[in-house]
Amino acid sequence: MISFSRVSLIYPHSTTTVIEDLSFEIAEGEMVLVMGRTGSGKSSLLRLMNGLVPHHTGGILGGEIVVDGKSTRTTKPGELAGIVGIVGQNPIDTFIADTVEDELAFGMESLNFPPDVMRKRIEEALDQVGLAPLRNRTISTLSGGEQQRLAIASALVMHPKVLVLDEPTSALDPVASEEILAILHRLVHDLSVTVVLAEHRLERVIGYVDRILLIEGDGNTSIGLPSEILAKTDLVPPIVRLTRALAIDEIGTSTREVRRITEPLREDLVDFPRPSHSPGAIALTVNEISARYEDKSALNKISLTLREGEITALMGRNGAGKSTLIKCIVGLIHAAEGSVEVLGEDLRKIPQSKRSQLIGYIPQEPGDLLYLTTVLAECDRADRDNSVASGTTLRLLHSTLPQISPESHPRDLSEGERLALVLAIVISGSPKILILDEPTRGLDYEAKNRLMATLHSLTRDQGVSVLMATHDVEIVAEVADRTIFLADGEKVADGATIDVLLASPAFAPQVAKVMSPRRWLTVGDVLRAREIS
Amino acid sequence: MKPFHPFTFWAIFTSLSVGVVLSDSALCALVALCGAALIVALKKDEGPWRNSFRWSLIAGTFLLAVRAITGAVIGVPRIGRTIFTLPRISLPSWLPGIRIGGDVTIERLTSSLHEGLIIATVIALFGAANSVTSPHKLLRVLPTRIYQLAVTLTIATSVFPQLISSIYRIRSAQFLRSGKRPALTSIAIPLLEESLGRAVNLAESMEARGYGQSKIHSRYRPITYSTQDISWMAVGLLAAIAMVAI
Repeated sequence: MISFSRVSLIYPHSTTTVIEDLSFEIAEGEMVLVMGRTGSGKSSLLRLMNGLVPHHTGGILGGEIVVDGKSTRTTKPGELAGIVGIVGQNPIDTFIADTVEDELAFGMESLNFPPDVMRKRIEEALDQVGLAPLRNRTISTLSGGEQQRLAIASALVMHPKVLVLDEPTSALDPVASEEILAILHRLVHDLSVTVVLAEHRLERVIGYVDRILLIEGDGNTSIGLPSEILAKTDLVPPIVRLTRALAIDEIGTSTREVRRITEPLREDLVDFPRPSHSPGAIALTVNEISARYEDKSALNKISLTLREGEITALMGRNGAGKSTLIKCIVGLIHAAEGSVEVLGEDLRKIPQSKRSQLIGYIPQEPGDLLYLTTVLAECDRADRDNSVASGTTLRLLHSTLPQISPESHPRDLSEGERLALVLAIVISGSPKILILDEPTRGLDYEAKNRLMATLHSLTRDQGVSVLMATHDVEIVAEVADRTIFLADGEKVADGATIDVLLASPAFAPQVAKVMSPRRWLTVGDVLRAREIS
Repeated sequence: MKPFHPFTFWAIFTSLSVGVVLSDSALCALVALCGAALIVALKKDEGPWRNSFRWSLIAGTFLLAVRAITGAVIGVPRIGRTIFTLPRISLPSWLPGIRIGGDVTIERLTSSLHEGLIIATVIALFGAANSVTSPHKLLRVLPTRIYQLAVTLTIATSVFPQLISSIYRIRSAQFLRSGKRPALTSIAIPLLEESLGRAVNLAESMEARGYGQSKIHSRYRPITYSTQDISWMAVGLLAAIAMVAI
């Protein structure tokens, strides 16, 4: 269905090749995962498949790409609209119409499909992704998962033979992400659609894919069965790390397989008392706050405390009220009822300049804070803003990311590097409380490990109190001491991470699913249990 | 109520503004403005474009003030009752008939207020048309022949509301960081990057979905003119004719 022969790609005004001498073939009805570090060229590779690269972006293409018998060199993306459907990283940016049905009709209208065909195909697509009840809704009122499903449906109405998706689950909570993958799985198996997707959260997709295309970043690329590829890379999901750590040669990609392999462990190992972290004094208290958006209740009498030296995770489905709660805590909105107290003082009585010293905030888009032309300039500005010795911020940055050049432009950094820079900028002011909104979106495992190390040293060594809103159960399992679960603006769970995560199957991390009913969340837990036994 | 054809309100407000300009009467302008306000208030459209009437009113008021002040201070002298006298700046002899400062008469003030009101009303009427018509729907009824224009329009209309929310998001992030009101450049740079990226994404999505491939577009559930549309347009036209006639 898709064949790449000796493909190379270089962008204008760039000295490095994005893709070099890449050859592979993807058969009809295959589901292929493209993986690699951030900035390794995954998005470019995906967009080569319908000719958006280089027709739309520019760049020099060497070699030949043939999709369903058509060469992308001579065929424009628009002419491939009926063959390749593409779903971008941010579906909301790609919507053209304002209601669900109109959006679905858009592509077919452009290709002059007769109205009766359109009616039929729209029905079909709505059923395939389960959006039929929402057909007349305005797109901006849909949740993240619904928007992702709509983006898939608007590709499906064209009856494409190939569906290309760039990080389809990265913005979604675990439940919505499961729904998306189930849809893709059905498309592959029932309709023989070829699916190519890029994703960093391997634990979410690994069980579904037939083959993996690994872009190693040094110009090497390999394609093969998941077990072959995963055997030779560091970018692996938790279950592979588990078998690797246990020195088991066999590589399993599904919970079921790995459960079978690790059967004896679950029987032999003894439980160990989890090292209970003794949290410090109360840093922040939220007293029964309620907030409303127009006539909808967004938060309903939420109370919580953040303690010094503790990492608290804030979880819940998209739209559960996480962002609103964070806005109340940082003082962007004032709750209709209730209060927020920082170190025993009412937030409303603290002047903004002092608030910024007490509470560090990492926004969902770290780039929002950056506007200077070099990393060094950003670091210097942070030193001045926070009145610390010159060079402090750069030193903080280099302690986590030594290879970063002070002369590079903040816009040229990868997501992970940008997050590290913004973290350094914010923590150079030594805040007592650090709030992170969805920090792991678009991060590869390496960048995630770096983030975890930083959070760990901040809390354990400096007694900072961390609150992290996230959909990423794996990072929660690794670092969070406590987890708060919101649903529909109400707090439904608040307790030790292990208790909260194990209580709901959808939010359980991969290792916990494998090791159930034993209470181990991470690879580290299993290893510790083995040591003790 | 049945949804209106997207052109209906554009037709009504265009004929009203033609009427206001031709009749050149402050009374007509005020009546048209009230009518527009009533229609906007009655037609509850969901969407970010809904606020454009309010914004156009603000812009119109600003223009009115500017026009009144400059009209009173600069211009051709006009005989009438003097309200107050400003110090007069003498201009070189090759600029006869124009003066800055001097006597401000009631006649001069009212005539510049009058002109300002007409301009402000026209702006407000266009704002009203924008405010009651979804730009997306408008795009759906535009002829395919103006493909490039339609692409530009789509990008402009869909990027603008998101732009506002981005500004808010970036501003609050920076405010929280420094505790101070952020400078314009510090918002502009991340904003520019984001909007450019967004526009490129949208254009790519349109292209990947075959937009502009076919010279003829078909219509899913085509929007047609109903008697309701025609009668409303007729009312608009009659109002405009009435204004000119009076």
